[in-house]
Amino acid sequence: MIHFDNVTKVYANQNRPALDHVSVDVDKGEFVFLVGPSGSGKSTFLRLILKEERPNSGAIHVAGKDLARLSNFKVPHLRRRIGCVFQDFRLLPNKNVYENVAFALEVIGKPRRFIRKVVPEVIELVGLEGKAHRMPDELSGGEQQRVAMARAFVNRPMILLADEPTGNIDPATSIGIMKVLDRINRTGTTVVMATHDAAIVDSMRKRVVELEDGKIVRDQSRGVYGQAY
Amino acid sequence: MRANFIFSEVWIGLRRNLTMTIAVIITVAVGMAMLGVGLMINAQVGMMTTYWYDKVEVSVFLCTKNSDMPACKGKAVTQAQTQALQKQIEGLPGVEQVFYEDQATAFKNFQEAFSANQPMRDATKVEDMPTSFRVKLANPDNYQPVIQALQGQPGVSQVVNQRDLISQFFTMLDKVRWAALIVAVILVLAAALLIGNTVRLSAFNRRRETGIMRLVGASNLYIQLPFVMEGMIAGLIGGVFAAVMLIVTKVFMFDEVAQYLSSGGAQIGWDDVASVITLTMIIGVVICVLASFVTLRRYLRV
Repeated sequence: MIHFDNVTKVYANQNRPALDHVSVDVDKGEFVFLVGPSGSGKSTFLRLILKEERPNSGAIHVAGKDLARLSNFKVPHLRRRIGCVFQDFRLLPNKNVYENVAFALEVIGKPRRFIRKVVPEVIELVGLEGKAHRMPDELSGGEQQRVAMARAFVNRPMILLADEPTGNIDPATSIGIMKVLDRINRTGTTVVMATHDAAIVDSMRKRVVELEDGKIVRDQSRGVYGQAY
Repeated sequence: MRANFIFSEVWIGLRRNLTMTIAVIITVAVGMAMLGVGLMINAQVGMMTTYWYDKVEVSVFLCTKNSDMPACKGKAVTQAQTQALQKQIEGLPGVEQVFYEDQATAFKNFQEAFSANQPMRDATKVEDMPTSFRVKLANPDNYQPVIQALQGQPGVSQVVNQRDLISQFFTMLDKVRWAALIVAVILVLAAALLIGNTVRLSAFNRRRETGIMRLVGASNLYIQLPFVMEGMIAGLIGGVFAAVMLIVTKVFMFDEVAQYLSSGGAQIGWDDVASVITLTMIIGVVICVLASFVTLRRYLRV
């Protein structure tokens, strides 16, 4: 599903590469934690998958497509197959829960009948039934993140990327968020989650890829956050 | 493509940047009106050129009793001189026709030409009018030898090529036209820059929305269309105002001037105004759309 082959990314005006000869394979339906300190290259890894950045060398394949050969014109179609969740939720403050989720479908031109059908379903999936008409500022952080997940998942993407989704949320609420991610993963969606949250990684017992200074220092199935030092 | 969605986005954008939108509309309106006036003057000049150049004659004014032209030396032309002149003119090469205009005819023409100017009519008497020969040339461009031959002949007070008078007027119109076109170009430039700024503001105001649109895979067209439409609608409204200004100009400037000149058929009609309005509107909208696109390419990376 996601295939990195010897990928190196150096940002302009920086000597040290953000990713240094990284090779990783993520299969369909996998749940992968991406761990490592700030600046270790986690976000760069996710941005490369979305083709928001281009690697300096190496090849990236996402959903069977070679990103180097994917024309800019087709990048939007790639992104329709990838859902994204962020630490800061990125909801539209002037739209309610339903409208925020529907927005993702409206802007890719889905018909209204389809939107009316699937948006309530996905709002229920993330556990926000009955709150469809709340505005984002009336919701707790955890609920806002659920809205963001509903928006990321509403178009049934093949891949869900989560960049520290629990970063702004207290540990108790985070468990609920992880349950939703797990539920999404069980529908067959590949989930890649970058995180600092050791407790979550340890409790989930999923594959862990650890980055340090742009290099993969560990790739372990059913891993934990930190190695036993 | 959901038109509803696009239009609601456009409306939000225009409302958020109301002052900028108004500035764009005014600039486009004035710029396009200037361009239109330039085009209308152009059409008017073209029409009048054909109309007048067909009619121009060389006028040979003869001396009246109290003429203050030095060539007359204060004496009126005699019967013999008039007849000799007529013979001479008819004998000149390139002369097609010669009319003799007596005082009564001249007075009548004068009264008609100044029908709007009552004091001028009242102050003029038949005796004041000079008699003249109206010489129609086979080739109006070839007036020089005729004028040279007749200037200074006994009894001739003045030889006037009407074309000189008309071309003075045309030169003036030409200057007005160029001034209008230059102002139009400057304003169009200002409008383009203003639109660029408006679109930039608009894109900045909606960076959250466009960011999410990018993320969920909205196509470039879908992301950019609302901004381009904003520019287009501003251009269109500006064009409508320009059209109103052009219609007012036609009624209060062109029609008035034409009446003053009593040029009869040589006057631009409503069909000319309509085509000028169409052209300026198209130019206005195209400029707005182009300016929006160019700005978007810089400020809305997809």
